[in-house]
Amino acid sequence: MSNWAILSGIEGNLAAYEAVLEDIKRQTLNVTEIFILGDVINANPESEKVIKRIQHPRTGELIPQVCKGWWEEQLLMLHGYAQPIEPNPLMEKYGAATAKKLWDSIPRETVEWISNLHFAFIELDCLLTHGSSINVLEELTPQSSPLQLFDRVMRTQANRLFCGRSGQTFRYQIKDGSVNSEVITLDGVQPVETVKASERYIIGVGNVGGNLGKATYTLYSPNTDLIKFRDIYYSGSKGFGKA
Amino acid sequence: MKIAVMSCIHGNYEALETVLRDIDEQKAEKIFCLGDLVGYGPFPSNVVEMIRSLDIPTVQGCWDEDIVEGINSCECSYPSVLAERRGKFVHEWTNQHIYDETREYLAELPKTMVEGNMAFVHGSPQSQHEYLLPELNGFIALERVLSTGADILFCGHTHVPYVRSLDGAELQVRVMTGVESLTAESKSFNAPLKRIVNVGSVGEPRHGRPNATYVIYDTNSDRVTLKEVEYDYKKTCAAIIERGLPAIFAWRLARGMEYAERADDASHLCERGV
Repeated sequence: MSNWAILSGIEGNLAAYEAVLEDIKRQTLNVTEIFILGDVINANPESEKVIKRIQHPRTGELIPQVCKGWWEEQLLMLHGYAQPIEPNPLMEKYGAATAKKLWDSIPRETVEWISNLHFAFIELDCLLTHGSSINVLEELTPQSSPLQLFDRVMRTQANRLFCGRSGQTFRYQIKDGSVNSEVITLDGVQPVETVKASERYIIGVGNVGGNLGKATYTLYSPNTDLIKFRDIYYSGSKGFGKA
Repeated sequence: MKIAVMSCIHGNYEALETVLRDIDEQKAEKIFCLGDLVGYGPFPSNVVEMIRSLDIPTVQGCWDEDIVEGINSCECSYPSVLAERRGKFVHEWTNQHIYDETREYLAELPKTMVEGNMAFVHGSPQSQHEYLLPELNGFIALERVLSTGADILFCGHTHVPYVRSLDGAELQVRVMTGVESLTAESKSFNAPLKRIVNVGSVGEPRHGRPNATYVIYDTNSDRVTLKEVEYDYKKTCAAIIERGLPAIFAWRLARGMEYAERADDASHLCERGV
């Protein structure tokens, strides 16, 4: 039986990542896949240590599947790997000093590795991505428009969309709904069709490294559809304890 | 007030002239254009000049964008190597047959215009490359209209005109937040009548006939009329061949049908964001 650990937003916080890895090992259910939904890095030199830790798991550890996040996209834009956006989101949010720090923190060969990361994963009926099915920058939250959330999961023909951009943990269920649609063409009026909304889920997976001392991640069992959000408290360079 | 909305002229000057005359006869007070002034057709610069000289508010189409930015299609936009080769050839042909000034004009076109309760886009509010096909899931279609804040969304890009009314929308959702201790909340969502009006194509129709199509909208009566106008398409077909464009473009213009070019899958997932 497969069980997934879904992480996002390590942001160069190695202690937080270690704490989560320890918690994963402590689980009674056997975690078979680790997905990291972007923002592995931030504008700090520790990001490189996190990347190395991901690239070289210890004996017996799983090799995490990593996709791009907001910070990776900013890095790739800086290096000309991704199409620039105006105004530049990094400059607008954090300024030139942070952009320089990001540039200085990540070696060229790591940029190359990051440029090869996927945008999203589709596993079974689940889409796993950092932002949304549109791009890594979009932030989905429980306050987002229901139609926006429905669209983002529907457009990939998935039933569940796991995302990490907001850093929040949530489970948003679209239960049902309907809309009447009538189309008129040059050839006449087509009969009114009632379109039904089928059940879909959008799941926020939390944030590992953004809040010092507390990491949040998600455990998911595709066979039983059970979701468990985890709060892990840690300090120093080694993670410990749990909520 | 009567407004006329047209799109996808694609360098077909003959069709544009005829449609402008028809709009005049309809006594429309204002014209909007939804882009794709260039591409496929033999007179891209003449079309742009006409639109500019009449000061017609225009949004940027996917061809207009590609001429400015370079081809932006992802590889899955082409159904075959042949179609891809042809697309790139025509892009290059158009690139060589427009003036720098024309390119500057196309570069400055907005992607979206909003006037009152009406929004104007080429493909969709999300991308000039997205096709709002009439069979697109009703909720997704509704999301596109709502994202503009308008009641009526005018679009083009598919080259087949339609009016789609979306009414009585409702959704029930349940939200659980928190971490170990979860809080549950149920919500419902309703939306009033919204419409998508696809205005078809002036210069490269694909509704099965060679006639140019556009739309008249009466803001007072709230009535949308799909217009189909005959023009001398044979002149444009001849010019396509004379000017060295692929003969297949003349063939399909004469039949008003799509040939060997697939509409982007609306649910297609790619990093370009469509």
